[in-house]
Amino acid sequence: MKTFWRNFARNRGAVVGLVILVLVLIVALTAPWIFPGSPWDMAGAPFAPPGEDGMLLGTDSLGRDVAAGIAHGARVSLLVGAVSTVVSLVIGIGLGAIAGYLGGWVDDVVMRFTEFFQTIPSFVLAILLVAIFTPTIQSIVFAIAVVSWPPVARVVRAEFLSLRSREFVQASEVLGKSRISIVLGDILPNALSPIVVLSSLMVASAILLESALSFLGLGDPNMMSWGFLIGSGRSVIRMAWWMSVFPGIAIFLTVLSLNLVGEGLSDALNPRLARNRGGKP
Amino acid sequence: MTRLLTVENLTVGLPQGADRPHAVEGLSLHVDAGEILCVVGESGSGKSITANTVMGLLPKLLPVRGGSITFEGEDILALSEEAMRDRRGRRMAMVFQEPMTALNPLMKVGDQIAEALAVHGRGQDAAKRVPELLAAVNLPDPASIARSHPFRLSGGQRQRVMIAMALALEPALLIADEPTTALDVTTQMQILRLVREIQSRQGMGVMFITHDFGVVAEIADRVVVMQHGRIVEQGAAQQVLNAPQHPYTRALIAAVPHGDAAARPAVSVQPMLEMKGIEKTYHRGGWFGPKATVRAIHSADFTLFKGETLGLVGESGSGKSTLARCVVRLVEPEKGEIIFAGEDLRPLSRAGWLPYRKRIQMVFQDPYASLNPRRKVGDAIAEGPITHGVDPAEARARAAELLRLVQLDPSALERYPHEFSGGQRQRIGLARALAMQPELLIADEPVSALDVSVQAQVLNLLADIRKRLGLTMLFITHDLRVAAQICDRIAVMQRGAIVEIGSTAEVFGAPKHPYTRALLDSIPGQGWTPPDLSRSA
Repeated sequence: MKTFWRNFARNRGAVVGLVILVLVLIVALTAPWIFPGSPWDMAGAPFAPPGEDGMLLGTDSLGRDVAAGIAHGARVSLLVGAVSTVVSLVIGIGLGAIAGYLGGWVDDVVMRFTEFFQTIPSFVLAILLVAIFTPTIQSIVFAIAVVSWPPVARVVRAEFLSLRSREFVQASEVLGKSRISIVLGDILPNALSPIVVLSSLMVASAILLESALSFLGLGDPNMMSWGFLIGSGRSVIRMAWWMSVFPGIAIFLTVLSLNLVGEGLSDALNPRLARNRGGKP
Repeated sequence: MTRLLTVENLTVGLPQGADRPHAVEGLSLHVDAGEILCVVGESGSGKSITANTVMGLLPKLLPVRGGSITFEGEDILALSEEAMRDRRGRRMAMVFQEPMTALNPLMKVGDQIAEALAVHGRGQDAAKRVPELLAAVNLPDPASIARSHPFRLSGGQRQRVMIAMALALEPALLIADEPTTALDVTTQMQILRLVREIQSRQGMGVMFITHDFGVVAEIADRVVVMQHGRIVEQGAAQQVLNAPQHPYTRALIAAVPHGDAAARPAVSVQPMLEMKGIEKTYHRGGWFGPKATVRAIHSADFTLFKGETLGLVGESGSGKSTLARCVVRLVEPEKGEIIFAGEDLRPLSRAGWLPYRKRIQMVFQDPYASLNPRRKVGDAIAEGPITHGVDPAEARARAAELLRLVQLDPSALERYPHEFSGGQRQRIGLARALAMQPELLIADEPVSALDVSVQAQVLNLLADIRKRLGLTMLFITHDLRVAAQICDRIAVMQRGAIVEIGSTAEVFGAPKHPYTRALLDSIPGQGWTPPDLSRSA
């Protein structure tokens, strides 16, 4: 664990990313205390620029506080990002493990199924799914999970294919262990590093997807999210730039920090690769 | 005789956190024109570092801390990168260990050799020189080989191409870094003869790095023995091989498998395992296009009697591992019977196999891959019995006992595999197999990834445990000397078939099949019998 942190901290960007991410998390968790009340309530005069009227980041066309919207929106964006990632990890690891471990025709069937999802543009499919199931937070999470599991399945399958032929897995076969305990006890723990790295990037792309859906008006109408804030500010961007810019910065920083953390994790979990990168000793 | 290379007092540092401060320390050696100097040592002794320092190929992490290297009268440590590049290839050349990765896979081999010529401004001769060079390394049909990509060539052929490339500019010094380690024994012998022949024809100096004393006996004029980055002994080959002075050299030579096939009494006539008509064919190719089939095993019948050790010997690709894996169902053959203790195991289901998992166990080749890196040693040894319903506390207690049996400290239970050396890991793998209290133990090249001194320890341990527990053993190896030492009977495999089977003394003493004879003739260092050091030590 100690060496893990040392390797992680060697990547400066990763530490910066982790700090930003923790700050975003704190804001999300404390939003009900910093900005009590609903972010949908009118808090001041409409179109107040940042700093005026006691509004740090200004107000929108209905006089709602943009800062409160961002803080409450962080809860929704992070929640959607995390939950949909967990769901797609479950689907992806499950299918990838089956395909990689069993091989043969099962592998063929599962991979053709995976390719079926990969050939459809994922954003279009997500829009379609949300439109069919009516926009609620559940349907959005479901849609994001459905379009983002294929890469997980592919990575897990590749790891399983190579680990399956390793001698310690064969030794477990010879010991007579059951298939499930071989998959869960021997193969999966050794395949975790790329999955961990991939999942941090998936949270980032899920946040982007959710924002894009909300921007198009397909967000949950009862939930304030960053994408909704940008979407609602879009039509008045020339007279009230702050309505779109600040939520945009929030998305940018969060996604950037997740990517940095992902790279740091990858360095920490594969220290040998990290040292070779950029020729640093 | 002219002095080609003099290394004096060379010290190369290691990065911080390594197990010792210097990769190579206070090293002095020399190579004359027209001689072969063998540098011998176990892995990690610094022999490759020495070669790379001479070639100027040292990684930046390893700084030269002192000493000098003089090559043809110049101090090459002081030369610029530019000047060094000019010497490399033209005056000194290198052949690497791994022929599979040392050639550019996208370039025809003729072009690669021509490139070596062109880099040093001799590109205009390429059309004439390339076929000459390929012929000089005894490759058949040089013109067509020159037009081939590396993947079309076998390991031995690629190594010959590497040697041809190294010889292209007639260097004065050839450095060969374990050039035959990755090759089969018959190919190894051909390459050794080739190096000898070319060396005497061109009068080069050769620095030949190896870990195998058989190879040393075959090829060396002088020997340097290295341990932990220092030279512990050097001298004429005859002297070092037959009258070693330093205790480490003595230990290394004592550990060389002697290849004596002592006559052993037949153990029993009660068959334990019978393989009848096993066939395994691999198909390659997709839905479209032609399919390739490889017959991995055919006509490989044998009977293993209770209490004996049968050696399966053959070169890589002969199907010996596949055959052994059929016995434990890691490979499922299409045809044939695997009769163990009276029952055919082949048609059994996964569940039907379970009771036999206890009775047949396996030790694997690669000590670094055969243990789960994320599982503690104790758990690894105990998990087999626990799977079969033994109480966990009891299984762990037995694991401690087993560690003692394989001569490891029971404190190892709570540690992870990466804290152990290769030899220790191999013992852990053995303990894991023994935990199941098997009747039949399959050992798939259990010592081929180990250094020679560790190899001897593991072999002795295996022989001892086999005797104590009354195990029957199927021992797979490519090394005939090892087979001679440990096996009662030997089966020789070639291209998926057993071509000869008989008692060890018979097979070694009076081989019937021409392939067995070829294998035996290829054991390096046959002219040399390791001196008996047990008494005088």
